[in-house]
Amino acid sequence: MKLAKRYLLLFVLPALILYTLFIVYPLINSLFLSLYSWPGVGKKTFVGLDNFRKVFSAGSFRNEVFNAFWHNVYFYFLAALIEIGVGFFIALMLASKIKGARMFRNIVYIPNMIPLVLVGFMWSLYLNPQVGLVNQFLKLIGLGGLAQSWLGQESTALTTIILVNAWRNIGFYVLVLLAAILDINPSLLEAAYIDGASNWKIIWRIIFPLSFSTVRTLAILLFIWSFNVFDMIYALEGVQAGPYRSTDVLGTLFYRTAFGGLGSSAIDMGLGATITVFIFAIIMPVSILYVYLVEKRQRSA
Amino acid sequence: MLTLSKYGKILVYTLLLIYTMLVLVPFLMMISNSFKSMRDIYLKPFSLPTDPSFRNIIDAWNQAGIGRGYLNSLIIAGSAVVGIVIISSFFAYAISKYEFRGRRFLFMYSMLGLAFPARLAIIPIYLLLRNINLTNSRLGLIIIYIAVNIPFSVFLLKNFIDGVPNELSEAARIDGANPLQIYRHVVIPLIKPAISIVSIVSFVNVWNDFFFPLIFINDRSKATITLAVSIFFGEYANRWNLLFTSLTLAIAPTIILFLIFSRQFIAGMTQGAIK
Repeated sequence: MKLAKRYLLLFVLPALILYTLFIVYPLINSLFLSLYSWPGVGKKTFVGLDNFRKVFSAGSFRNEVFNAFWHNVYFYFLAALIEIGVGFFIALMLASKIKGARMFRNIVYIPNMIPLVLVGFMWSLYLNPQVGLVNQFLKLIGLGGLAQSWLGQESTALTTIILVNAWRNIGFYVLVLLAAILDINPSLLEAAYIDGASNWKIIWRIIFPLSFSTVRTLAILLFIWSFNVFDMIYALEGVQAGPYRSTDVLGTLFYRTAFGGLGSSAIDMGLGATITVFIFAIIMPVSILYVYLVEKRQRSA
Repeated sequence: MLTLSKYGKILVYTLLLIYTMLVLVPFLMMISNSFKSMRDIYLKPFSLPTDPSFRNIIDAWNQAGIGRGYLNSLIIAGSAVVGIVIISSFFAYAISKYEFRGRRFLFMYSMLGLAFPARLAIIPIYLLLRNINLTNSRLGLIIIYIAVNIPFSVFLLKNFIDGVPNELSEAARIDGANPLQIYRHVVIPLIKPAISIVSIVSFVNVWNDFFFPLIFINDRSKATITLAVSIFFGEYANRWNLLFTSLTLAIAPTIILFLIFSRQFIAGMTQGAIK
């Protein structure tokens, strides 16, 4: 159908203007800001590509950026292993003929209802080395030797944060995967059972290939989100991302650079914008792939 | 659905039970600790409250500014949801049901927001709001949240509107209805489920957000519930009974919403930009 121009404007413009002005334009504007040095007030100083040189050529800032970058990478792979890998396994259990599957499904999703930052605060109390529930529980069941300062030592802090994050987020992955599994035509499974196929064979030969596109989409989204983590680190370790920056990610480094924090060097919004451009460049290929896949599926639908 | 043997069933039930405990125990401990004294939390971590009282709730409510946090979050999330639903359904309706140049581009353009998180643009957004005097303001947050939630809502609503038969709107048009009337009287009644999904999911997204209030709000009287609790944690690091209580209070509204609307939440997620 055709649409008269005044109606077209009425329907399209409000969303288009808000979205362009407050999302798209700021995303692009970050690029320009990254060419300046600027404490947020007063005059901007044009510095050309100096900010990018700070990120890429040897020096303390580069070390800080790449320290954070590798933590994001580690975050992604461990989170993918737990949230998509273990999540798939839980989804399979919920997709079998058991009583109470619906109740389990709802329980699985409850932690997702809590703000990340509050999940972080809650676990910061449970993980307290002296009186936290986790160490108290280990002592109670005779594993007191394992009790340790989970968030206070470099060797365990980041992994612990990723586990807390997975505790909160895994329900989302489970339910999306479960929906994909339940979407598979039941007659396929019935035919396989009649042919005498075992459950493992059915999972590996039918369910996994047919839900692969969902796994791929989730892996893409998790990648984008992993390079934007902030709340959980903020709640559990603060913007200083201790101990000794062992939990620093690009998000917390960005926050310290652009908005400051106890003991940080001078605020520089230009350098902060440079970090967001860096993150933008990392997720760009994956993001484009995602938009392409969504669009393709829309057209075939 | 997978069919399990007897032993398979026992194994699956055991694993699911362990997992359920892992999810629920931290919650129940948090709630139980909200009714215990500080001394009992430290010395008897696994016992139930011996002398349950509402003392903690009253103290946490007052000292953490829970009431004001609820009110601010309710105003912000409520207004944002109204804006999101109207603006996104307009846009989705136009690109779903009408032919015009640039329609496919507009759809892909709006999808970019799903692929590039808005927090990457936080500095320019901050400067933009500062220029129009909307930092440290609830209205500023409402505007940002509407913009942030457009991509997800447009995507979901467009999928639903695509499913509304063209014959219906065509018939209404022949009867003399203008596009706005078709939208109001034909399309909206048929996509009510989608509207409720978008409303509930975006309400919780806004209610739960922390990053934007952290950057934009520096006045305690305008703090959202997440920001209020976060400030409280910074100030009362040792008052564990009150910390647990403030968490319980902050979390309660969304959990209750979920218990009522779990179907919509789950539909919103599985029909969002994933499927």
